[in-house]
Amino acid sequence: MKPRRFPWFSYTVIVLGGFLMVFPFLDMLASSFKGPADYNRMHYAFLPEQFLLDNYGTAFEKLKLGLLFRNSIIKSVATTVLVLLTSSLAGYALTKLRFRGRQLTFRFILATMMFPGFLFLIPNFYIMVHFPLVGGNDLFGEGGDGGMAQYRLALILPFAVSAFGIFLMRQFILTINDAYIEAARIDGASELRIFFQLILPMTVPALATLAIFEFIGSWNEFIWSLLMYTVNTELATLPVGIQQLKSHLDASMTQPLVNAAMVISTVPILLVFIFLQKYYIRGLTNTGLKE
Amino acid sequence: MANKRSKLNRGQALTGYLFLMPVFGFYALFFLIPLLFSLYLSFTEWGGFDLSLIKWVGLDNYRELFREGSPFLNPIIKNTFVFAFGTVLLSFFIALAVSYMITRLKYEGFWRTLYFLPTVTTIVAIGNVWLYLYNPTNGVINEVLRKLGLQTVRFLDDPSTALASIIVVGGWLGIGSSVLILSAGLKAIPEDYNEAAMLEGAGLWALYSKITLPLLKPSILFVLITSFIGGLQSFTLSLVMTKNGGPGNSTNVGGLEMYNQAFNYGNWGTASAMAFVLFVIIFAVTLLQLAVFRRGGVESY
Repeated sequence: MKPRRFPWFSYTVIVLGGFLMVFPFLDMLASSFKGPADYNRMHYAFLPEQFLLDNYGTAFEKLKLGLLFRNSIIKSVATTVLVLLTSSLAGYALTKLRFRGRQLTFRFILATMMFPGFLFLIPNFYIMVHFPLVGGNDLFGEGGDGGMAQYRLALILPFAVSAFGIFLMRQFILTINDAYIEAARIDGASELRIFFQLILPMTVPALATLAIFEFIGSWNEFIWSLLMYTVNTELATLPVGIQQLKSHLDASMTQPLVNAAMVISTVPILLVFIFLQKYYIRGLTNTGLKE
Repeated sequence: MANKRSKLNRGQALTGYLFLMPVFGFYALFFLIPLLFSLYLSFTEWGGFDLSLIKWVGLDNYRELFREGSPFLNPIIKNTFVFAFGTVLLSFFIALAVSYMITRLKYEGFWRTLYFLPTVTTIVAIGNVWLYLYNPTNGVINEVLRKLGLQTVRFLDDPSTALASIIVVGGWLGIGSSVLILSAGLKAIPEDYNEAAMLEGAGLWALYSKITLPLLKPSILFVLITSFIGGLQSFTLSLVMTKNGGPGNSTNVGGLEMYNQAFNYGNWGTASAMAFVLFVIIFAVTLLQLAVFRRGGVESY
């Protein structure tokens, strides 16, 4: 009894709406092929007068895209690996190991989610730059030049643990039957072995979801990387590099260049999303709501 | 036996603490210490470099924020709420319609991906692309307006349209994740309900308002609450599109003002006080909405 007729109205609305969602991306793509004169015409035209590939080449040189890519990849991969490790370790401990303060720890981790990120920008910035005994700093965090911000670690450390990740892994590990673990313990397996050889392989679906989530989030993260860039320009990630190019040079001359850089930096992540969206969507829809 | 048991438990407890070590270390270093440090800073005047130059000023920073005529209250906090309300309203109603429609179309996954693309794109790209779309001389929106015989709108340069322009981008950005959650909620509604009602001769609108909407309520509340809280916290879009919340303070929001006070003007004390005021506001809103959440029949974690 489901309405079977072809839903013309819905199709029209969805296609028009879909066009509005995608058009800005198409415009970004089209204008990345325009030369400065073409781009700065007094009237808008979607297609370039002639397709120029120069912007892509210039973007690689001028923007040091190589460095930006390297930083973005190292930051995203390292953050993802660390979050997977810390979340699954904590998720396992919070569900399958008995110790004093377990419930309190979990409540505390949940409570941290109530604290917005901007609250930590100022103090964490100071802590990073004045990290004791790092980057030439003395025991009191003085005297060095940039402290932790001398290293890429500064881009990664503040994101190494994720309350959302711990929550996700905990919920998943809760569904694993205790009998497996008991059996392994009776066989004399050490707790470390139980975790790495028994539990971790069983959590792969949850790990996949968390990995995509973290990787995309980390790739797109902007504010913290921008702050670290102000201390050490070698730490620029793709979003930071693009934004900086835009603000330092004459915008009217460089906009097509910036567009090319934006295309280069967004295409990989869009592909990651399109191919792995199954896992991403599962994370977004399954954790927020308990049915 | 009892001895062995307690040894086992001790081993488990030790492993538990060991496994949680990274988490404890992290929250000590990047949560507790920073929280206390910035709470302290909010009672001081400080430029952010030399710790020995910190000057205790008591409640002065907070007094300054709440004094009469303070730009922080009006327009900055006001803008923050307008931005959150605006983006939520815009993205919610569009997402409600879109999710309802795509669940009854073929290639649902494809349409959902289209609407979700902005969510997985860096805000830097989003902001810059929209800057060009809004451009008064050669942006596409003004080109369309001109074709329609309307006047050029200086979207982001005009204080009366600037905030609305950013809200449109924020709303556009938020549609995807709301569609995702709402369509997951829609699919959880058993088809029998609709069929039974249709056999009774209920029309489409009756179906939607009497069956779909009430059953979708948990998802709706979840979407509204999380996006509203997200909207109150968000400031990167304003940073990318306007830098300092201009023209004037017309697009300035709480997070952005805090960011600029600390990292552009070197007023770390003032900025920390702003961060805490904002935090308390967001916390209060969250608690209020969680109460609504529970009464709305959703179990929260």
